[in-house]
Amino acid sequence: MTVVLPAPVSTPATPEAHHLAPAPAELMRELGIRSRPGILSRLPSWLRVFVRNKKGLFGLIILCVFVVTAALAPLIVPYDPYRRAGKPHMQPSIEHLLGTSRQGKDIFSQLLEGGRTSLTVGLVAGLSATLIGLGIGISAGYFGGRTDEVLTFVVNVSLVLPALPLIIVFASFIEEASPTIIGLVLAFTGWGWSARTIRTQTLALKNREFVVAAELMGERKWRIIIMELLPNMSSFVVGGFVLATIYGILAEAGLEFIGLGSPSSVTWGTMLYWAMRAQALQTGAWFEVWPPAVAIMITGAALVLINFAVDEITSPELRAGRHIRRVAGFLKRRGRTIDVG
Amino acid sequence: MLFLLRRLGFYLAAFFVAITLNFFIPRLMPGDPATRILLSLRGKLNASQIEAVREAYGFKGNLWEQYTGYLWKLAHLDFGISTVNFPEPTANLLYYAAGWTLFLVGVATALSFGIGIVMGIYSAWHRGGFFDTFFTPINVMMNAFTPAVVALLLWYGFTMQWPLFPLGRAHDMNLTPGWNWETVASISWHAVLPVASIVLVNFGAWHLGMRNTMINLLNEDFVMLARAKGLSDSRIRYRYVARNAILPQITSLALSIGYVFGGAFITEVVFNYPGLGKFTLNAIQTRDYSFIQAQLVLLTAAVLVANLASDVFNVLLDPRLRTGARA
Repeated sequence: MTVVLPAPVSTPATPEAHHLAPAPAELMRELGIRSRPGILSRLPSWLRVFVRNKKGLFGLIILCVFVVTAALAPLIVPYDPYRRAGKPHMQPSIEHLLGTSRQGKDIFSQLLEGGRTSLTVGLVAGLSATLIGLGIGISAGYFGGRTDEVLTFVVNVSLVLPALPLIIVFASFIEEASPTIIGLVLAFTGWGWSARTIRTQTLALKNREFVVAAELMGERKWRIIIMELLPNMSSFVVGGFVLATIYGILAEAGLEFIGLGSPSSVTWGTMLYWAMRAQALQTGAWFEVWPPAVAIMITGAALVLINFAVDEITSPELRAGRHIRRVAGFLKRRGRTIDVG
Repeated sequence: MLFLLRRLGFYLAAFFVAITLNFFIPRLMPGDPATRILLSLRGKLNASQIEAVREAYGFKGNLWEQYTGYLWKLAHLDFGISTVNFPEPTANLLYYAAGWTLFLVGVATALSFGIGIVMGIYSAWHRGGFFDTFFTPINVMMNAFTPAVVALLLWYGFTMQWPLFPLGRAHDMNLTPGWNWETVASISWHAVLPVASIVLVNFGAWHLGMRNTMINLLNEDFVMLARAKGLSDSRIRYRYVARNAILPQITSLALSIGYVFGGAFITEVVFNYPGLGKFTLNAIQTRDYSFIQAQLVLLTAAVLVANLASDVFNVLLDPRLRTGARA
């Protein structure tokens, strides 16, 4: 809503300073807007939006650090994480940065190796779930009719059926589920939400002019889906991926913690499992519990921050809240109030 | 009405899919449960006894006969006999564990919902303020701290480091449960930490959900109209915005009430709480298949009933659904 002010009848010959509209620089200072550094404008626009969002940038940096250390784990681990490297429950020292576990394995090496497995399982499970959801959601939304009916029924069933117990039952019938199997099961049970969001989004897009135009031009269906629909819902896809990854990492850790994983694999979940089995906390071996616990917490926090950023990019009114106080102050000094808040 | 009937039809279909999956999953796995039991008793049974065991576990005859037999038993709420607590029918164990879980997770869900909604209203109203910018991300992060870590740290902190609370179990061991003050006190005292561990992990999701829905509503025209009419802030906040924003939250609440019957696996394991999660885990470790299947049926039924309840609730609260125009 814009307020149309009446045009001034006559312009005074020598306007006084306070009648002048403030210079852009002053306005920007008052509203706390900083001009973008030059490097930023060279980034692709989706990345720029991300980098300008403090929460998202922070989360992304943390996650990148974890991913890089995890990827390099085989090169930098000081000991073999699967083998005994010293006496049981040695205190942290120069030799063993985070001490050793009850079984005498080096915890620092296990932490890195565990991160590799946990992050891989989480990311792969998240990615697969997103891809399944994307495929089913787009097909249901775009093709409509009988396809939509059948697919929507499948989606609804998968949403209504409780996932975690299903996973647990799966995991229990497959004895000693390896991280790979846990990841597959998580992907298989975790795609419902993204399929539903993507379907809704496809329905909203498919009658828009550019899609209709592409159809009239005789584009093939798969090309319309990939070139026209997909780029316009990228933020939903990314959001779904982040959520599915959080779910994947946490669910994997949870399953392994309660002892449904394969105890011989090294992940953050199995590290916690062994620490609990060895009664590490009761015997003062805090260094067996804290590293995997803190690693899971930090990873979860980083992903949540990224998810916040994606949310704010998807629906800008959530972001508006951050600047609203400045704007309110700005308007108040000019004798206006902001309409809501 | 038509809308509700359609939903009811869908839930019945979904329930059917679920119990069919429940029937087939154990049979798809290598080695049926009955054979495993037989293997563990190898050499102690003769041929007719083996047949009897297979029959008791519903593995007699061809697949179709097994399936109809399974459905028949299910219709009579006959979940078979527990292998671990041998003569005890699985149903009794299930109901015992369900009682404790209902109490534990029910209280925790109610608390998380209440705390989350109040915080959500506050931070949406003062969006961009200190509370919102600071606590909204932190509360949601707690959600990502995984119950395993939170429960373990609470347990260590308040039973080992500062031994304020009991180590586990639902009540004192040498207490005969009854309706008296002593029992209630003991049960509540034992529930503090488990409930806290669930609430800490869960309330952030309610907070964020309520906040985001409310912020979207604050931009609506009816809010501006209410302002223009000069209604008081608190009236707009609670009667106009929060009342509308709570609709989707109530839908999710109904769903999580259904999930109560999933039990809180991790919390119950850490605090040794005799709920469904712990019993199911025991059943898994001891290969008590009848309990696992019974638990899955109970949970599916609960979740579907909760879904139906949320549909009914929404129809009652939201007049737009009553026309049946939108599904």
